[in-house]
Amino acid sequence: MKFFVRSSTKRCPRLGVLRCTEGKSEVEIETPVVLLHTQGGHIPHITHEVFKLVSKEPQILQIPLVSMHSFKDTMTYYNGTISEFIGSKNSLTCLTLHDPSNLTKQGHHTRDKIPIWTKRGKVLYDADMYMDVVESFKPNMYYLLSDGDTNKTSPQKRIAKAVEQTVVFNKQCLERHRKSEVLKKMFVMAPIAGGYCLKSREHCIDRALFIDANEIDGFLIDGLHNNGPEVEFLPFEEIKSILEFSVDKLPPEKLCSVQGCWSPLNVIKLVQCGIDMFDTSYCHILTERSAAMTFQIDTSDENNDYEINLRHHSLAEDFTPIIDGCECLACKKYTRAYIHHLLTVQELLAPVLIMIHNIHHYLRFFRKIRQCIANDTLDEFENFIAGRYENYQRKTTSSVEDKIISENIGDNI
Amino acid sequence: MWRFFDVQNTTNLTQLFMSAFRIFKQTSTKMTENAKPLVFNIIAECQTTKARTSKMILPHGEVDTPVFMPVGTQGTLKGMLPEQLEEMGLQIMLANTYHLGTRPGPKILEKAGGLHKFMNWNRNLLTDSGGFQMVSLLELAEITEEGVKFQSLNKTKGEVMLTPEHSIEIQNAIGADIIMQLDDVVQTTVPDKERIALSVESTNMHCRTTRWLDRALKVHKNPNTQNIFPIVQGTLHEDLRRISAKDLTQRVVNGYAIGGLSGGESKDEFWKIVHLCTDLLPKDKPRYLMGVGFAIDLVVCSALGVDMFDCVFPTRTARFGCALTMTGQLNLRKARFAKDFQPIDEDCTCNTCKRYTRAFLHGIVTELPVACHLLTEHNLAFQLRLMKSIRDSVCEQQFPAFVQKFVFDLYPDKNYPSWVKDALTAVNIKLL
Repeated sequence: MKFFVRSSTKRCPRLGVLRCTEGKSEVEIETPVVLLHTQGGHIPHITHEVFKLVSKEPQILQIPLVSMHSFKDTMTYYNGTISEFIGSKNSLTCLTLHDPSNLTKQGHHTRDKIPIWTKRGKVLYDADMYMDVVESFKPNMYYLLSDGDTNKTSPQKRIAKAVEQTVVFNKQCLERHRKSEVLKKMFVMAPIAGGYCLKSREHCIDRALFIDANEIDGFLIDGLHNNGPEVEFLPFEEIKSILEFSVDKLPPEKLCSVQGCWSPLNVIKLVQCGIDMFDTSYCHILTERSAAMTFQIDTSDENNDYEINLRHHSLAEDFTPIIDGCECLACKKYTRAYIHHLLTVQELLAPVLIMIHNIHHYLRFFRKIRQCIANDTLDEFENFIAGRYENYQRKTTSSVEDKIISENIGDNI
Repeated sequence: MWRFFDVQNTTNLTQLFMSAFRIFKQTSTKMTENAKPLVFNIIAECQTTKARTSKMILPHGEVDTPVFMPVGTQGTLKGMLPEQLEEMGLQIMLANTYHLGTRPGPKILEKAGGLHKFMNWNRNLLTDSGGFQMVSLLELAEITEEGVKFQSLNKTKGEVMLTPEHSIEIQNAIGADIIMQLDDVVQTTVPDKERIALSVESTNMHCRTTRWLDRALKVHKNPNTQNIFPIVQGTLHEDLRRISAKDLTQRVVNGYAIGGLSGGESKDEFWKIVHLCTDLLPKDKPRYLMGVGFAIDLVVCSALGVDMFDCVFPTRTARFGCALTMTGQLNLRKARFAKDFQPIDEDCTCNTCKRYTRAFLHGIVTELPVACHLLTEHNLAFQLRLMKSIRDSVCEQQFPAFVQKFVFDLYPDKNYPSWVKDALTAVNIKLL
């Protein structure tokens, strides 16, 4: 798999393509791209068979190691790739360490090891154990092991440790990579640690660039957050300088990725900085709170919506789809009232339908972003989404205030 | 050599159906009234047992019997999309009146244009009366001549009465193709014959279940699109079953259910009552045995002449990590599957068996919702395949051989349960 960027200007929205040639078939995936976030090899709630009803285009599955750790031994006996094992042999896969939709527990560091938090508790991974998994899983893409356990509030000591560990991991993993025939073909990405400290970032990047440029196909700006739903509300201003600084230092011909459930507005802002790769963990956290994306992608539309919560009792008799005119299966065949019913009786089909819509909507959103880059209209689209988001925020805060006021009145009575 | 697993060979089967249909045309009901919402065309009858296969035509399409109907309690079948179910060839599913009557409630269902539209399922539906849930879910239920009185789950409402009329009213709003009368269910384990007799016996000429049927038929609003099935009661007392069946068969209905079984009675008692009821009920109408769905029960009761079955078992057991196969169940949680790279069942053509190994499923069962979807799909495919094997073998006049092989595969040590042996002997099948 190779990455080709269409324009090599730094720190600007850019189009590119990931080209994967295997045997006779060639798959091309346009960037900025969104990887399909999975748990146990599946988009949460969506079987591969059902996903066919959402999209038939080639996709890359993001496989968090933490959700597949229980298969570590099994895979050493299995005679195939991780994509075959999870039942989706035609998908491309990208192995990563943590699950971006779940808050990663902080701390518990041990020298030269990284803790991951599986269902059965803490497991420590060192570079060798990690590379054993990469070798037996045989994904199409993977990240070198890193210490990304930093956020806005991390003290300097933690940041320094994270960089130090990441540099060591990168070196150890690459030694294994060079030796292995299986690993050679894979697309390798080096994580950049360093929290919110420019100096540490610089140091980490310098060390990463010290490696032969041909060996690394891309980078991950790691250590911005500890994953989970909070990432949605990270103010972009907080990460802006770190991000711009890092992207600026990295070679422009390489792929640059971030992970986490960024809000749609921040996704656009990250694209504006030159980020090429994201994931759909945002769809997952929305689905978990019974929310469906309704922000308009087609700017000609007058709809002021941004997001709806399908649990809301006002939808009990709303026999319209989530979005009128949306082409997804959930909108074409099912109503808000039906999904509301499924939610109130806690049926498994509720998150299935909401996820079908959210993934469909998010994939459309990324298509729109690429279009906007091509037409040079990404600024307008950013303003448009920003406006919708502000409206929505105003509406939700005012409805909360209304509620507080009415509750106070109730108290007085 | 007959192949009962061959599902691809449809042309031959169609021909077989046609020739079988010509032979047994005399037993089939003629499609005389256009308005009739149920036409029961028997295609073939087994020459040895009481098994038969038919094409039943309902308002939302055909149903091939014997049929297993999976249970979609709250207007959805355990995470499966109706699109997937159609693709699998499912023709009818069951929904529960008690649950749907509580949420979303008849008003919303009416506004939605009925349950078919609400849940995007264009094939057939069957609803129960709601009475069973009340007796089983709510300990405080009290049954009087008027109906079933119970404590509402919603505390503000206090006591609620479900009458035969109210049950039909809700079922009319749901709009299922087959609906059930409210019946007076008595647990088969209840020894009190007088109480049971009240359920069926003549106080004013006929029994309470029959009186409730008459009240249900009277208020039924959609006789052209919905069929009311009465329910034969009488628990394990043959004399009471006879009275119940006799009373019910005097009413104008399109099919019958056998109720009050599958409630903890012994299998030795169970099969005898099924055997008796299929003898008492008319041949030209479908017979529905409520709450039965284990593979062996389906095979034996098909031999006894039952046409329709329902049970939560295949979908419920899937959620606990159990996969059904022709030779028994696999509990995929067991550690021995961790390195087993076979599909659940080599002979199964479902998507789960096409894509996944036991090893993979072992790692995700009971942990991820998708695992539940995948096993539900397999278990449904299993039930559908089993029923198709039964129908095909009846058509090909190979049903007794099919039963012999099926039972042998399930009990290769020939340690057959006595009830299976007895029930099959009663319909002239001698096990291998």
